[in-house]
Amino acid sequence: MSADLKVNKAADNAAKTERLRAGFIQRDLIGFAVIVIVAALGYVLFPDNLALLTRILAIALLVLSLDLVTGYCGVATLGQAALYGSGAYAAGILSAHYGVTDPLVMTLGGILAGAVAGLLCSIVMLRAHGLPQLVLSIALVYLFHEFANKASSWTGGSDGLSGITLDPLFGIFEFDLFGHTAYFFGVALLLLTFILLRALVRSPFGMLCRGIKEDPVRVRALGASPHRALVKMYVISGAVAGAGGALSAVSTQVVALDSLSFTQSAEALVMLVLGGTGSLFGGLLGTVIFMLFEDFVSAANPFHWLTMVGALLIAVVLFAPKGLYGTMESAYARIRKRHDGEARE
Amino acid sequence: MQTVFSIAVDALAYGMVLFVISIGLSVTMGLMRVVNLAHGGFAMIGGYIASYVARDLGLGYALAIIAAVVFTILIAIPIERLLYRRIYGQPELTQVLMTIGITFCIIGIANFTMGPTLKTIPLAPALQGSADIGFRTIPIHRLFAIVCGLAVALGLWYAIEKTNFGIKLRASVDNAAMAAALGVRTEIVYAVSFAVAVGLAALGGVVGAEFLPVEPYYALRYMVTFLVVVSVGGAGSIPGALAACLLLGAIDTTGRYLMPEFGEFFFYLAVIAVICIFPRGLAGRAK
Amino acid sequence: MKKTILAALAVMALSGTASAEVIKIGVVGPFSGPFALQGKNFKAGIDAYMALHGNTVGDDTIEIIYRDIPTADPAQSKALGQELIVKEKVQYLAGFYFTPDAMAVTPILKQGNVPMVIMNAATSAIVKTSPLVVRTSFTTWQTSTPIAKVAADAGVKKIISVVSDYGPGIDAENAFKAAFEKAGGEIVEAIRMPLSTNDFSPIMQRIKDSGAQGVFAFLPSGPTTLGFVKAFNDNGLKAAGTKFFAPGDLTQESDLQALGDAALGIQTTFHYAVSHDSPENKTFVEAAVKAIGNKAELSFPSVGAYDGMHVIYKMIEATGGERDAQKAVDAVKGLSWTSPRGPVSIDPDSRHITQNIYLREVAKTSDGSYINKEVQTFEKQGDPGLAATK
Repeated sequence: MSADLKVNKAADNAAKTERLRAGFIQRDLIGFAVIVIVAALGYVLFPDNLALLTRILAIALLVLSLDLVTGYCGVATLGQAALYGSGAYAAGILSAHYGVTDPLVMTLGGILAGAVAGLLCSIVMLRAHGLPQLVLSIALVYLFHEFANKASSWTGGSDGLSGITLDPLFGIFEFDLFGHTAYFFGVALLLLTFILLRALVRSPFGMLCRGIKEDPVRVRALGASPHRALVKMYVISGAVAGAGGALSAVSTQVVALDSLSFTQSAEALVMLVLGGTGSLFGGLLGTVIFMLFEDFVSAANPFHWLTMVGALLIAVVLFAPKGLYGTMESAYARIRKRHDGEARE
Repeated sequence: MQTVFSIAVDALAYGMVLFVISIGLSVTMGLMRVVNLAHGGFAMIGGYIASYVARDLGLGYALAIIAAVVFTILIAIPIERLLYRRIYGQPELTQVLMTIGITFCIIGIANFTMGPTLKTIPLAPALQGSADIGFRTIPIHRLFAIVCGLAVALGLWYAIEKTNFGIKLRASVDNAAMAAALGVRTEIVYAVSFAVAVGLAALGGVVGAEFLPVEPYYALRYMVTFLVVVSVGGAGSIPGALAACLLLGAIDTTGRYLMPEFGEFFFYLAVIAVICIFPRGLAGRAK
Repeated sequence: MKKTILAALAVMALSGTASAEVIKIGVVGPFSGPFALQGKNFKAGIDAYMALHGNTVGDDTIEIIYRDIPTADPAQSKALGQELIVKEKVQYLAGFYFTPDAMAVTPILKQGNVPMVIMNAATSAIVKTSPLVVRTSFTTWQTSTPIAKVAADAGVKKIISVVSDYGPGIDAENAFKAAFEKAGGEIVEAIRMPLSTNDFSPIMQRIKDSGAQGVFAFLPSGPTTLGFVKAFNDNGLKAAGTKFFAPGDLTQESDLQALGDAALGIQTTFHYAVSHDSPENKTFVEAAVKAIGNKAELSFPSVGAYDGMHVIYKMIEATGGERDAQKAVDAVKGLSWTSPRGPVSIDPDSRHITQNIYLREVAKTSDGSYINKEVQTFEKQGDPGLAATK
C-alpha cells in the first residue's frame, strides 16, 4: 500500500515535471502569440497613436529589465533608469557626434552601454540589502543624472541631446512622422528580447537567481556564488534596459535628462509592481495598463489626472495585492484546481 | 576660521531641520516596517494647515503648529484604518505602490483645493530676525529649529526606550503574534505609533517650511531626501537618524560652499560611501 | 435630375466644410506636477484671448486641445506632438514650457505641415531648429542682458554670478557676463549650484567671501526662489548693502506674494509685469484673472500664451483656414502689434519676438499685495543669444 503510493507519487512527480516543462513551452508560445496579437491589434485599432505605442514598447523593455533584477533576484532598486538612460544617450551620441546613423548599430551601442552601466551599478548595488540598497540605487541614478547634466557638450545637458539623424532601416524603411517603422522595429526588439529572456529565466542560471532571492545563504552553501550570479544578471538587465533606451532614442530622435531620472525609475517600478513581479508577463501587462491609463486620464483631464492614477494604484493594492498578473494567475490556478479536483472525483 | 565656524553653524541648522522632518518616517519605516513614501504628503498637509491658521486666520505661529499636528493626525486616522492597515507586514514593493498612490492622491487634492502657489507660514514675532552669536548672525528661526530637533529626539528616545508603551511597541514589531498573545493590543499600538509619526511629519513640515516651502508638489519633491536620510541613519534608530542628519547636513553644506557646482556629487557619493561602510545604516540593528 | 441635385448637394457640402471648418490647435504644457501653475497660466492666457476675441476666425471655429507634460520629457513630448498632428489633425502646435520638449517636436513640423508657436521655452537656439517655429515669449539672454547695464549704471564694479546649474541658468550667466564685461564691470566669481539646493546659506557665505558689491542670480520660478531670497536677507547680505540683480523669473508674481517683504527692493529685468500700466494690459488682466480664478496665480506665461494666440489668429486669417504652414509663418514675419506687455513685433529673420524689457523693482501696493513696479524701459530688445551662440 505504502510502496504503491510511493511509486505512484514518483510517477506523479515525473508527470508533473513533464507537464511543467510542456506548460512552460506552451506558455512561451502563448506569450509570443499574445504579444504579436496585441501588437497587431494596437496597429490596426490605433494607427494614429503609434508614437505612444512605441513609447510603451521602450518602457516595457525598461520594466522587463527591472523585473530581472527585482522580480527574479530580489534586488530592490529605484535606479533602473540609469541603465535605460545610458543606452539612450549612447545611441543618441553615436548618431549626433559620431555620425553613426544606422539604427541597428545605434541600438547595439545602446545595448552595450546599458550592459556596461549595469556592471558599474552592480559593483555598488550589491554591497547592501533592503532599504539601504534602495538608497544606493537612488544615489546612483542621481549621480548618472548629474554626470549627464555636467557633460553638456556631449549630452546637451538640460536642453537635451538633439540632432540625432537616422538612416532608413535596412536602407528601405524611413523613420517618419507616422512612426510605422519605429513601431515595427520596437515590436521586433521586444519580441526578440522576450524570447531570449524566457529562455534565460528558465535556464539553470535563471533558477539559481530565483534561489538567491529565496535564500542566498543556502545557495552559497550549495557552492554557487550569489554575487557573481547577480553581477551577471545585472549586466543582462543593463543590456535589456539599454535596448529600451536606444529604442526611445531612435524613435524620438531626442534624448534628455529625464531618461536618467529617479522619476523614470520610480515609474518603472510602479508599473512592474502593478503588473506583478517575478514574471515577464506581469511586467508587460503592468506597463501597458499603466501607460494606457495614464494617457487616457491625462488626455481626459490634463489638470487633475494624477489623483486618478493614485486611486488606481491604491485600488490595485487593495484588490489585487499580487499585482494584476499575479492575481489573475492565482485566480486561474484556483479555478483549474477546482476543475481538476472535480474531474478526478 | 570664522568661515569654518559659520559653515558649521549652517550645517547644524540644516541637519536639525532634516531631522525634524524625517524622524517620523524613521518611526514608520524602522519600527512599523512600512515604507511610507507618503510621509512628505503628511508633512505637506501639516504645512497647509499651519499656513491657513497662521496666515488666513491670523491666529499665530504657536497655535498654527498645534493645529497642524492635531488636524493632520485627524486626517491620517481614517487613512490608516482604511489603507495602511492593509499593508502592515506586506512585501515592501506592495507598500511602495500603495504609498505612492496615496502621495499622488494627496498632491492632486492639494493642487485642486489649495491651488498651485507657494504658501507661507508667518513666523511668530519672537522668531523673526537674526540673533548675534558672536562671530556672525543667525536667523532666530534656525535656532528654534535646532531646539525643536533636540526636543523631538529626546522625547522620542524616552518614549521608545523608557516607557511602557515603548516596550509594547518594540514587542509588537519584533513579533506581533507573540505580543498579541501576551495581551498587547497590537492594533492600537500600531495606530498610536502611526499617529505619532504623522504628527511628527506635520511638525516637521511646519518647522521646516522656511527651507522647504509648502506647495502641492512638496510630497514628491523631497521624498528622496527623507528616504535617504532615514536609511543612512538606519531606520528606526533615533540616534542613528540624528547622526545621519548631522553628517549629511554637514557634507551637503560644506560641499555646496566649497564646490557648489558639484554639490550633488558630494552628497550622493557620501551616501554611497556611508552605506558601503555601514550596510545597515549608521545605527542599523542586525535583524 | 436626381444626379444634379446630388452633385449640387455634394458641392454645397464640400464648400460648406471648406469655409466653416473647425481648426484645432494642440497646446502642450505642464498642466500637472511641479510646474502646474505655469501650465495653468498658459490656459488662462489662451482663455483670455478667446474670451476677448471670440472663438472664430472668419467662418472657422477654433478648438484647443490640451496635452500634459508635467516635467521636461522630450520622448513624451514627441509622442504627444505626433498624436496631435496625426490623430487629432491639429493645424497648429503651441505651448511648450521646456526647451527639450519643444526641441523634440520641431523635426516633425515640416512633414506634418504644422507651425509651432512657442509660448514659453526660452533657449535661443530653438528657432534655428525649424523654419516653422515662432516664439512669443522671451529668451533668457533677452531678459538677462539689460540687467547688466542696470548694474553698471548703479556704479557696481564687482559682481558675483550665482545661477542654477542647468541650461537656462548657464544662458543667464553667459548673457550677464557678456553684457557686464562689455560695460566695464568684472565678474569676480561665477557659481553654478544644483537645481535641488534647499539650503542656500553656504552659497550666501560664498557671496560674502567673494567681496563682490553685488550679486547676479538666476533660479527657475518656483519654490527655490523663496529659500534663496530669504537666505539672502537672513544671512545679512541685504543689511550689508549687497546689491541684488536678476532676471524676472526670480520674482514672478505668483511667487512674489510668498516672498513678501523679503523681496522688497529687488531689481529685476523682464518682458512682462502683471502690474504693467496700459489699457491693453488692464483688459488682459481682467480677462485672465477671470479665467484663472485667482489673481495671485497670474504670471508671465499667460502673456506668452495670449500673444501666441494672437499670432495664431493672424496666421489663420492669412491662410484662410487652409493648412499651409510656411504661408502661415511667412504671414506673421514682421507682424507688429500692441501686446499687454507693450509694443512687440516678430523679427522676420529669427521669428522671435522683439519687445521692451523693463527694469522693475519689487514694491508693496496699498492693498498689501506685492508687485513688480516698472521703473525703466529698454525699448525694442531683440534676442542677443542667437547672435552670441552663432
